[in-house]
Amino acid sequence: LREVAMTAEEKFKAVFSPTDEEVAKWMDCAFEMAKEALNNGEVPVGCLLVYKDKVVGKGRNEVNETKNATRHAEMVALDQLLDWCRLGNQDARSVCEQTVLYVTVEPCIMCAACVCFFLDRAADIPLVAYGCGNERFGGCGSVLDVSSAELTRTGNSYKCVMGHRANEAVEMLKTFYKQENPNGHVWMSPQRKRRWLKKRKHTLVRFQNEHRRIGDVTFWKSETTAPVKMNNTFLFF
Amino acid sequence: MEPASKRRKGAACDPDSWTPYPVLSDEQMHAVELVDVFAAPVLDKRATSRLIGELNNRYPLTGLQHVKRVRSTKAEEGRPHSLEILLCPVSKVPNSDLGSLSIGCDGLGKPFVVKIPVRPALTRPQFELASKHWPTSFHEDKQVTDALRGESFSPAQKAQMHTYMSVALSAAQEGKALRLEAVGAVVVDPISERIVAVGHDCRGRHPLYHAVMVCIDLVAQGQGGGHYRLDTYPACRSIPTSVSELAQKPYICTGYDLYVTREPCVMCAMALVHSRIGRVFYGSTFADGALGTKYKIHTLRNLNHHFEVYKGVM
Repeated sequence: LREVAMTAEEKFKAVFSPTDEEVAKWMDCAFEMAKEALNNGEVPVGCLLVYKDKVVGKGRNEVNETKNATRHAEMVALDQLLDWCRLGNQDARSVCEQTVLYVTVEPCIMCAACVCFFLDRAADIPLVAYGCGNERFGGCGSVLDVSSAELTRTGNSYKCVMGHRANEAVEMLKTFYKQENPNGHVWMSPQRKRRWLKKRKHTLVRFQNEHRRIGDVTFWKSETTAPVKMNNTFLFF
Repeated sequence: MEPASKRRKGAACDPDSWTPYPVLSDEQMHAVELVDVFAAPVLDKRATSRLIGELNNRYPLTGLQHVKRVRSTKAEEGRPHSLEILLCPVSKVPNSDLGSLSIGCDGLGKPFVVKIPVRPALTRPQFELASKHWPTSFHEDKQVTDALRGESFSPAQKAQMHTYMSVALSAAQEGKALRLEAVGAVVVDPISERIVAVGHDCRGRHPLYHAVMVCIDLVAQGQGGGHYRLDTYPACRSIPTSVSELAQKPYICTGYDLYVTREPCVMCAMALVHSRIGRVFYGSTFADGALGTKYKIHTLRNLNHHFEVYKGVM
C-alpha cells in the first residue's frame, strides 16, 4: 500500500537517482564502446542501457557499416534492449520504466525523440545521462529540446543529467574528425564550392598526388578535416 | 495485380485537385513587424543627397539596412513635399521626445513618426506588405515565390508526383490490412525517375519501425547495407541500385525525394536530415509532426543539412 501511495515523483527518486559512482561506472563502460567505434571507423559514441544494475543494451555507432545514417549508438542499444526482453520473457514496458540510458555524447534530435516514445507514452526510459553536449544535432537542449517537450500524441518527457567526462568525449570526436570518414562525401552548391575553394586556395597543393578527391570537390589531404567545426560538434563527412 | 482500393483512390483524386504547398521557415512566414522611426520631409529636393550623407554619418540605420532611407510621396493638398527621409529610430531618442532630437541638418521639415518593417522581407507576400509601410529592398527567390503561388511544378511533374504518392498510399493500405498504422512512404531518385524503396509502418515488428525509418533502411539495403529484417512484410521492398549507379557512389539518401502519406514525426524528420534527403512531400499533417506542425526541423539553422518540404500532396 505504501508503494501505491508514492507519488510519481517519489517513485522516480527512489528508482532513479543513480549515485555519482554508479554514473561514473556506467559512463566508463559507455566510453569503452565509443573507443570501439573509433577503432572501427565510426563516429565515437557509445551507449549503455542499465536496468537494475544490469546492462540490457549496449551500442555504438554503426552508420558506415550499415550505410544507414540512423544507426546511432542509442538506436542499436534500444534494439538490444528489446531483444533482451524477448529472450528473457520480460515485459519491455516495465523494464523500460526502470532503465537509465548512458551515452557519451548528447543524443541527437532523432535519438532524443525515440527515447521519448520508444514504447508508449506511459512507460518509457525516465533518465538519460550523457557526457558532452552536441551543438550540431543535440536534442536535449542544444538545438531543440525534445526531452522536455510536450508531444501530445507520441511521447512523454524525461530527465537529463550531463557532464561526466565531457572533455574526453569531445576529444574523441576531434580525433575521429581528424581522420577521414571513408564513406563520406562533400556535397556543395557551385557557389559554395567557389567560395570554399577561394578561401583555401593557398593551401591547395597543385600536384595531382597530393590532392584528395571527395565527392565533387578536390582538397589537399589535410584539408579534409579543416571545415569541420570541432568544438562539441558531430559532423559526418 | 494492383489492389482495387488503390485504383479507386487514384480515380477519386486527379493531379489537378491538389496543390503542393511549401513548408517554409518561421522567418519566411512571419507577419511584418514594425518599429517606430522618426522621419522628416525634405524641403529642398536638391539637398537630398547631402542630407543622406549627413544622416548616415550621424544616425546610421544599424540593423535596418533593408529599408531605403528616402521615400517619395505624392504631393497632396497640405503636403507639398515629395520626398521624406528617415532620421533615426524612436527608441534611440531619450524619452522619445522630438524636442531632444537635434538633427543639426538644414533643409528638413517638421519631424514625424512612421512605422517601418524591422526585418528584411524574405518572400514576395512579406515584401508586398512591408512596402505598404516604407520602401524596402528585396532579393527575390523566384523558387520560393513560385512555390507560394503553387506554380513550382508543371502538370507533368504533378502527374509524376501523383503516381509516387499513389504507390505510398497503396503501401499504407497494405500496412493497414496488417493492422499497422496506415502510413506509407516511397523514396524516389528524381534524376532517373526511379523508385528506390517502398515502405510502410512496421511497428508490429519493432516500435521504432516507422514508415520513413523503414524506407531509409531499405535504401541502405539497396546499396548493400541495411539492418532491418522485414521479410514478413512483402510490401516493403527496395530496388537494388544498379551497377552503373553504384559506380557513382550513392551516399545514403543524397538527392533522393521522399513521398510519405503523413507528416513525419520528430525522429523520422531528423533521420531524414541525417540521411541527406533532397526533398520531402507529404500528404496530411500530424499533430506531433516535425516538418511544419510542431517543429520545422528542415529549417533549423544549427543542423548541417536542410531540405525543401511540400505538404498537401494528394
